[in-house]
Amino acid sequence: MTTTIDGDSRTTETAKWTAEDITALVSDENGLVDPRIYTDEALYQLELERVFARSWLLLGHESQIAAGGDFMTSYMGEDPVIVARQKDASIRVFLNQCRHRGMRLCRADSGNAKSFTCSYHGWAYDTAGTLVNVPYAECFPKLDKKEWGPLQARVETYKGLIFANWDPEAPDLATYLGDARFYMDHMLDRTEAGTVAIPGIQKWVIPCNWKFAAEQFCSDMYHAGTTSHISGILAGLPADKELSDLAPPTQGSQYRATWGGHGAGFFLDDTNMLTAMMSEKVVDYWTKGAAAEKAALRFGTTARARIAFQHMTIFPTCSFLPGVNTIRMWHPRGPNEMEVWTFTVVDADAPDEIKDEYRRHSMRTFSAGGVFEQDDGENWVEVQQILKGYKARSRPFNVSMGIGNDKGGHPDYPGRIGYVYNENAARGLYTHWARMMTSPNWAALNQTRS
Amino acid sequence: MSMSVMVKTSESGQMKPPLVPVNLQHEIEQFYYWEARLLDDRRYEEWFSLLAQDIHYFMPIRTTRIMREARKEFGDSRSFAHFDDDHQMMNGRIRKITSDVGWSENPASRTRHVISNVMIEEGDLSGEYEVSAAFFVYRNRLERQLDIFAGERRDRLRRTHTDAGFEIVNRTILVDQTTILSNNLSFFF
Repeated sequence: MTTTIDGDSRTTETAKWTAEDITALVSDENGLVDPRIYTDEALYQLELERVFARSWLLLGHESQIAAGGDFMTSYMGEDPVIVARQKDASIRVFLNQCRHRGMRLCRADSGNAKSFTCSYHGWAYDTAGTLVNVPYAECFPKLDKKEWGPLQARVETYKGLIFANWDPEAPDLATYLGDARFYMDHMLDRTEAGTVAIPGIQKWVIPCNWKFAAEQFCSDMYHAGTTSHISGILAGLPADKELSDLAPPTQGSQYRATWGGHGAGFFLDDTNMLTAMMSEKVVDYWTKGAAAEKAALRFGTTARARIAFQHMTIFPTCSFLPGVNTIRMWHPRGPNEMEVWTFTVVDADAPDEIKDEYRRHSMRTFSAGGVFEQDDGENWVEVQQILKGYKARSRPFNVSMGIGNDKGGHPDYPGRIGYVYNENAARGLYTHWARMMTSPNWAALNQTRS
Repeated sequence: MSMSVMVKTSESGQMKPPLVPVNLQHEIEQFYYWEARLLDDRRYEEWFSLLAQDIHYFMPIRTTRIMREARKEFGDSRSFAHFDDDHQMMNGRIRKITSDVGWSENPASRTRHVISNVMIEEGDLSGEYEVSAAFFVYRNRLERQLDIFAGERRDRLRRTHTDAGFEIVNRTILVDQTTILSNNLSFFF
């Protein structure tokens, strides 16, 4: 069956889901999510088209490709891309696919190069993705090299983070981020020197749908304040302390984007969680002394300086924890699998000793072997496994925490604000997901903006 | 933490190490088999006692590089890694893995550490040895989860007066994967 979407009449597998069907999968009002959004192959293909081919997706940090010719390979959805720093300091992002027969142009994870030559027939591209040489070009009846370069994505950066978007109609990054920027600056804009990434990106595979991870970092302080991470906290306690010596923090707020699916949550004032994760040295750097004072001045308000531990997701797949400073991309690999790619950022002018503490402790807590993150892997994998069951998929999940308690605006914090233990941000993420999945283009999406 | 230490595979021209006495070869291999038994039998506190106070447990990230840039294959000591732990951090991991609220290992994984290719060189200090070994770690958990890892372990071992005979001062794990093909690394190499 052929369905016309965006004026493009390719046959798709999405035909079985109507816009009405998809809208019914998520109820913001009642806090219900149909678990088929995590398992259905047709919905996943539609996600690749309507979410991943239209959203600003995180690719990395500027410092990871600092010099001209530096490149790294990454993904936008399941599309492999090359992210390359140009001689003029701009960044280009283009499909890692030769236009001739589709071979991958660059199979390395990263490096420095002057060109990319396809190993199949020798077609050569410069680091901007311009086709510059075709062997036996004279044997082609008509080959205008300018028309045969790989697809280029739009590239924008926000305070060191590199984002890209395939859709020429999408709003610019600043508009897309909207009121989320306030919460990003807490990690990215504490000093005029900005941030630098600790070298290295850790990658691992978790057999679960990407949305479990995106939602958790968006909205789920609940799991951190209850059972999931008790042993992670234990691993960071001084030898003479036990879990019974601590109580989970209870003061804090959750942010749901006014529009756009972003979300965050944070504890206020209580730095115990951050100390258990990152050590006293890091917490002191974050809250006292010259660097903290500079950050507070830049914020211009104590409201942001009070944020003691924070989780955040920028819709759809950019998540991070200010304070731990771990940033990650969730790369979808079918409805049942994703890859986590993570790196850590630090203030560029932090002392070397502090940078190393951030490196060691972010890795100790949030990584494949992280004493916190190990347990997230366990949860998500089991949730996905169970959804193989027909009955397991037959009733909605409860995402109703905090309904009725959305305080709306807050004098100190932008967006829709509620109590920190809440699922409002998750409702926002899923509502925006449903919007993107049922809108034929950005013009239609923009109509729904509040 | 100021010097960046690079890790690489052995290089052309590096000599085959001289043979060590058979007894020493036997002692160190048996130490490794004892260590594997402790890990596979989940005797974590006893395993932890094999780690020296100055332990450096390090597993750099490995990347796919073109041949010209092969020297950049492994992360260095200032990069993000899979593990880069000292004694205190390892102690925290032992607290986690022995607690009953560590969900990633309660229920516990079943592991099998197979150690081979043990090659020994005298260390710079008397009583210390630089040891390279190949490992194959099989990890199975719950109903059907199966993860396997292969790689090289480079250790500095130090003779002790304990029954075990040695303690581990440095362990550098060079895994034969770039993207880690497992949902977590909740076990020890």
